[in-house]
Amino acid sequence: MAANPITKPGLDLSWLNLYDDAASATPGKKGLTLKEINTGRYSDAARGAGDMTYRMRGAVPRPGAQRFGPNYMSKSDVWSENCVMLYEEATQRQWSSARDIPWNELETLPDEIERAMCQLCTMLTEVEFIAGDTPGQWLPFVSAQDFEAGLFLMSQIMDEARHTDVFRKRALANGGGLLAQGAGLGLRSLIEARDFTEMSVLMHVQAEGFVQSMFRMGELIGQTDADKRIFRMSAQDESRHLAFGVMHLKYVLDTDPERREEIHHYLDKAEGDSAGGGSGDVTFPPVFESLCILLGGGVDKFDEGVQKFLLLRKRQINEYVHRLTVAGLGDRRDRLGPLMAQFVDPA
Amino acid sequence: MSTGRALAAAAQQSAAEQQDFDIPQDARDRARELGWEDGLIEFALSKGHTLQEVWQALRGGVDGATAKQFLAGGQLVRPEFSWMKVPTEWGIRARASDPELGLTIGDLNIGTYGDIPDHWDNRSEIARGSYPNPTNEDMGYTIFDKAIVWADCCVPLYEIAIRDRWVASTDLRWASLETLPEDVEKAVCQLMTEQSDRAYYAGAVWSGWLPEISYGYHEVKFFLSTVIYDLARHTEAFRKRALANGGGLGLQAPTDFSRAIREARTFPELAALFFLQDSLLLTLFKNGDSFAQNQLERDMYALVARDRQRMMDYHVERFKHFLYKLPSRREEQDLYFGKGEAQMFKDWKDPVVSEPLALLLGGGKEHMEAGHEKLRALRKLQVQDYVDNLARATFQRKNLNSRFKEILEA
Repeated sequence: MAANPITKPGLDLSWLNLYDDAASATPGKKGLTLKEINTGRYSDAARGAGDMTYRMRGAVPRPGAQRFGPNYMSKSDVWSENCVMLYEEATQRQWSSARDIPWNELETLPDEIERAMCQLCTMLTEVEFIAGDTPGQWLPFVSAQDFEAGLFLMSQIMDEARHTDVFRKRALANGGGLLAQGAGLGLRSLIEARDFTEMSVLMHVQAEGFVQSMFRMGELIGQTDADKRIFRMSAQDESRHLAFGVMHLKYVLDTDPERREEIHHYLDKAEGDSAGGGSGDVTFPPVFESLCILLGGGVDKFDEGVQKFLLLRKRQINEYVHRLTVAGLGDRRDRLGPLMAQFVDPA
Repeated sequence: MSTGRALAAAAQQSAAEQQDFDIPQDARDRARELGWEDGLIEFALSKGHTLQEVWQALRGGVDGATAKQFLAGGQLVRPEFSWMKVPTEWGIRARASDPELGLTIGDLNIGTYGDIPDHWDNRSEIARGSYPNPTNEDMGYTIFDKAIVWADCCVPLYEIAIRDRWVASTDLRWASLETLPEDVEKAVCQLMTEQSDRAYYAGAVWSGWLPEISYGYHEVKFFLSTVIYDLARHTEAFRKRALANGGGLGLQAPTDFSRAIREARTFPELAALFFLQDSLLLTLFKNGDSFAQNQLERDMYALVARDRQRMMDYHVERFKHFLYKLPSRREEQDLYFGKGEAQMFKDWKDPVVSEPLALLLGGGKEHMEAGHEKLRALRKLQVQDYVDNLARATFQRKNLNSRFKEILEA
């Protein structure tokens, strides 16, 4: 048997001579962020070709490094110009569902209101569950050349775990319980995506956009300060996910304009070919009805709730169109599926 | 047909703005299923109802006769709110059992909501404890057995991970870094390059396994989400250290062990390989003071070790539970650990892995012999801790890799 190199080592030290350009990032106002180290040959602008080996951008390639299976070779497939900033923001704005929600301030609610809130939370805990699995599914395909996009998705997984847990906590903290499963929410289309951009448009822009518009009406939906805080804190996280998706779409359209029709095709499928309202559809009857009760303020004010629900739906669709316009897909306005088109304000 | 007078009013209000929309085929099919006469949808639209209303009615299961009656000016149909009456456990008031931790996911495991079944048989994304739809699409999960993934400790560890989070950009005193001798700085940077690679890769691999685990064991998924987030932070912290003090990134990490992780076909195999790597890295970082060159590194290694201790606690308890529940799979695990040890040893014997550590332990390239001596002791400790961790999980390695044995016996 050859000598054990751990117990009887020789000396190589060739790794001391791999580079001679010193990198000395200095911390800024927000500490030493990814932005400060995104310089020179380590920057995303200096990204070389992908190599399927999980070599971090800027590291010296190892001769003989094995491939790990396919991942995206092109930056535009996964990149978003704001992912560096969004990851750092995520690290600074993590919160705790256990301690940052005033659980002991929950007040006993009328039974129908509590049931409506619990039904909504049952649906939301499912939605957020899928929203964590979906980026997880794609992370192995994100090259380490674009690691900031990967880190952002890892922060999203953490956010979605917290959302899944906070809505479960809310359902079980105020004399209620979980209610009917929210099947039929269009969630499977998220995990059916076969391309990162397809996934991102459907999940980040469409589904999380719809959820975000709803969370922003949390002041109307929530019946207690704790409920309102849950929606506010969750909306803050969703904003990051949404921003990643919008800017990813923009990056793709700017760098690979030939993909425009392909992206329309994904959206045609999600919102047009089927009668469904897109991924994250809130028109599923238990969700629709519980939202109307909460928005109206009771079963006896259901009709008022319906009015507000229609406002919510209108807001969801118009914000969705606005986000697509920001990303450079403003022509989507003229191609929206029928269930969405009816709510769009005139241009 | 509608769910309320206001809905109809709202529809009429917007009728003037109505455009001609194609009626989706799904809507027509659903209407047919519910016994709606042909043309009834068009009739509803012509009366000023929105397509949204029609769809809401179809999704709500309003049958053709009722729809026709409503459109003819008959009585309004109110929702039945059937979801209010589903037979789930009601009246739950979870309370924080530990005020310091707040309302934890463990506090929710009361009544039937605390029943964590040995086998979970719902293939959808249903939340444990909610009332299932009669028919659901299969969401593609592959892990439905508690014995494969479960460890009781993942419930408190999830909340502890959140409580103990840290921020690489602001919790480490970057401005305190002082110039180091070039060989020492390059050794730090080479170690950081390797560890950043390993952390990113591990995070990506764990992430890829999340969609395999069914909702029956959501606490495990929550905990693994914290692991993934911890690994993101480690990736970032190590890279920042490499680029903050006059060095740079060195040679990428060796690929033998990481490839073995990628080749894992099942969760137990994956978990065995991560058990090995995480145990070795935990010992490394717990001993970070011995190779840290400044306070920032000491702090960073201590924080990383605290994160990795949670991972290790999960590994030990999961593996113990797995062996207890599935004793017939005990022998099989030796194969995975054997493969992992062989590949890890390949990584360790690479001078680009061992020499930076030896240089840091020795205090410079002129002290490599002393550094290697210390590295031998550190490697021995790593292997011993690994064997001890396996023993804590009630597992005795039958054929510990011969090179690892030599390290132990040296």
